Amino acid sequence: MLSGLLKRFIGRKSSKDAAKKRLQFSLIYDKLEVNDTTLTDLQQDIVDVISKYFEIDKDALELKVKRDDNVSALVFNTPILHVKRKRV
Amino acid sequence: MQGKIIVVTSGKGGVGKTTATSSIGAALALEGNRVAIVDMDIGLRNLDVVMGLENRIVFNIVDVVQDRCKVEQAAIRDRRIENLFLIPASQSDNKDVLTTAGVERVAKELRSRFDYIIMDSPAGIERGFENSVVAADEALVICTPDVSAVRDADRVIGLLYARSLNPKLIVNRLEPARVMRGEMLSHEDVLEVLSIDLVGLVPMDEKVLISSNTGTPLVLQNDSKAGAAFRQIARRLNGEDVTIEMPVYKTSMWQKISKTFGLK
Repeated sequence: MLSGLLKRFIGRKSSKDAAKKRLQFSLIYDKLEVNDTTLTDLQQDIVDVISKYFEIDKDALELKVKRDDNVSALVFNTPILHVKRKRV
Repeated sequence: MQGKIIVVTSGKGGVGKTTATSSIGAALALEGNRVAIVDMDIGLRNLDVVMGLENRIVFNIVDVVQDRCKVEQAAIRDRRIENLFLIPASQSDNKDVLTTAGVERVAKELRSRFDYIIMDSPAGIERGFENSVVAADEALVICTPDVSAVRDADRVIGLLYARSLNPKLIVNRLEPARVMRGEMLSHEDVLEVLSIDLVGLVPMDEKVLISSNTGTPLVLQNDSKAGAAFRQIARRLNGEDVTIEMPVYKTSMWQKISKTFGLK
């Protein structure tokens, strides 16, 4: 009844949101057949490299696995805030 | 005209595959098609009891594949629904007795005798699954809105893609009230995670257990919500353009009020 209001005060998220998030992540890991740390490390490395050239929004970036008939593609999406000036 | 073979799979067991197979098969027959339902769960047959035909089994699908009898000897005619037949599984063999080559040969014969052949695949992704999908023209994936069913469905979808099948999804046992409370994944959530086409939404329905208790077809019960949903799915499979009805997510007065004040 007042669950929405209650949730707002307690600040607790609904369990189905947790389910969805966990599912999305586990499906990515399943497909890549790599573990959690590998993916986090990969993400960190990519961020480091890109940060050399661009200023990016680290909170808005997403790592996705796109599935086609027989290929999986790793898609890394990030908003670019600024281009860094190259120093000679 | 060649008939169409539709395989019903899920990966995970207990999500309603057998109910879906029997209901969709029965509904397709009610639409005027000649339908054979084939129980591919060798060693653990169940469609016969669910359909109320367990007392009339003489031969089974293993007998047909191993050439011990003809298709028409193994196909049990349903006396309540015209043009509906069941080819039961064998209870004594195990899943390894069937070969994909044998299944394909029988599939050819079934296509010439029926408009639709619905194959009920066993749970899992081993030999029994292989045998069920080898001759399929179309595939349906059933899943319930819980993490284990969705994950297994994803795995099965991948395997079906690898066989150039383009599966369609049925989300079973939706409980609108729990979806509203944020306790259950909505069909939108499931679709977003699995990213495949939807063919129907089936609400949780107590009538399903009752109809399997007595072995009567769910689709013949006028007051069954799940039965109505399966009939709609059958019409869609049959080529009719029936819009997918969203389950009613009832909003209470409190939810309306809190929504108005931007509290949700």
